[in-house]
Amino acid sequence: MPELLRPGSIDEAADLIARHGAAAAVLAGGTSLMRETYPSDGGYLIGVDRLGLDKVVSRDDGWSIGAAVPLSVLREAVPIPALQAATREIGGPAVQNMATVGGNLFARAPFGDLAPALLALGARLVFATADGETTQSIEDFYAGWTDGAPPRTGLLTRIELDALAGAAAYMKCARRRYSTPSVVTVAACVQKDGGTVSDARIALSGAHAHPLRCPAAEQAVIGSSLDDAAITAAAQAAEAAVAPQTDAVATDWYRRRMTGVFVGRVLAVLA
Amino acid sequence: MEDKLIRLTVNGRDEAVIIQPLATLQDVLRDTLELTAVKSGCGQGGCGSCSVLVDGELRLSCLTLAERAEGAEVTTLEGLNATNAIVPLQQAFVENYAAQCGYCTAGMVMAAKALLDRNPAPSRDEIVEGLSGNLCRCTGFAPIVRAVQQAAQALSDTGEEAS
Ligand code: FES
Ligand code: FES
Repeated sequence: MPELLRPGSIDEAADLIARHGAAAAVLAGGTSLMRETYPSDGGYLIGVDRLGLDKVVSRDDGWSIGAAVPLSVLREAVPIPALQAATREIGGPAVQNMATVGGNLFARAPFGDLAPALLALGARLVFATADGETTQSIEDFYAGWTDGAPPRTGLLTRIELDALAGAAAYMKCARRRYSTPSVVTVAACVQKDGGTVSDARIALSGAHAHPLRCPAAEQAVIGSSLDDAAITAAAQAAEAAVAPQTDAVATDWYRRRMTGVFVGRVLAVLA
Repeated sequence: MEDKLIRLTVNGRDEAVIIQPLATLQDVLRDTLELTAVKSGCGQGGCGSCSVLVDGELRLSCLTLAERAEGAEVTTLEGLNATNAIVPLQQAFVENYAAQCGYCTAGMVMAAKALLDRNPAPSRDEIVEGLSGNLCRCTGFAPIVRAVQQAAQALSDTGEEAS
C-alpha cells in the first residue's frame, strides 16, 4: 500500500515529486486514483489538497484555474457553455464535486472528457518543477504522452484560459446519457471573419491513446463558410486521421465512425 | 505508516475516530460508527450507494479518504432527522414505491436532498441529472424520479425544507 503525503506548499510538493520519481502518484480528487487503482508496490501518494490550488481567479481577459478546482466549481466560475457542458459529462454530481480540473487532464482513455474542451479553447498548463515554473500549451502537453501515459513534468498547478474568441461547441458520444466513459468526445472552437472561417481548433478524446487536436479537420474548414461540403470534408479528414483503441466501451471501428459523425455534428452547431 | 486520530462531525455529533492509513470515510461511517445506511455497492465511485453530504455537498464516501475529511461536517441518511422520524423526502419515496430491494435508496435520498437543497424546484431533466451518479437495479428509476418530483412539489406547497 502506498503512503499518503500531504505537503503544505507547492515547492514541497514539487520536491517530493522530483525526489520520488515514478514511485510518486499525485492524488487530487481521488475519483480515478482510488484504493482499487493505487500502485500495489508501495510508493507515495502526493495529496494536493493543502496547496491552495482550489480557486478560480478571473483576469480581465480570462481565467486562472487552480489545478485542484472541482469540476462543479469550474462550471460556476467559467461561463463558457462548451466547457460547462464538458463538466456535466464526467461522472454524476458527487464525482463533479470531487474530481478536479487538473486530475481529469491526466485521466487515461477512454476517460478524460474535459481535455477536448480545453484543447479547443487553447488552454495553457503551468507546472511547478524542482527548477521553477514552466508553461506549456495543452496540445504540447498531450504530444508528450507515450503509450497513453502522461510525461512527468512536475506538478500541474494551474490552467490559464483566455476569454472565448469566436464560438465553441462540445459533444460526447456515449452509451448512456450520464456518468459513462466516452466512445468519442469532440469539441471545436471556430472564429469567423465575415462569413469565412479564419481559425478553427477541433479536438478529440477517445479517438486516440490520448486527447489531441485534429489539424486535418481544422484545415478542411479554415477558409470555408462552414458549409455542408466543408463540414463533410472535415468529418472525413478526422475519420482518416484518428487511431482509436478497442476496449469494453467500443471497437476502434465504431470509434472511428463516430469521430466523423460527431465532428460533423459539432461543426453543424457552429455553422 | 501508523494509525491516526481524526476528528469530524457526523450527523451533528463530534466524533474522534482512529483510522488506519488510507481508510475511507465509508470505512469510518459503516464500520466504526455503524451508520449502515451508507452502502458499499462498488467501492469505486460507480454506483452512488455510499453518497453522503460533506459540508453540505454530495460526495462519495468510498472515494473520500478519511484523513481528508478531518474537521468536516458529514451527514448520512441517519442524520436527516434527529429522532429517526421519516422526513417528507423519504415519505415521497415510500408513497411512490421508489424502493424495491432498497440497496440504492439511502444514496438516492442523499443525492435528491443535495439537489433540492440547491434547487428546490427542479425540472424533470434536472432531477435525472441530479440522480445520474446513482444506480438502481430494481425500480427502473421512474418511481424515484416521481418521488423527487412529489417531494419538490410538497416543498413548494409548504415552503418547508426537503428534510
Ligand atoms: S460504493 Fe461508493 S460509489 Fe459505489
Ligand atoms: S431498489 Fe434495488 S437497487 Fe434500487
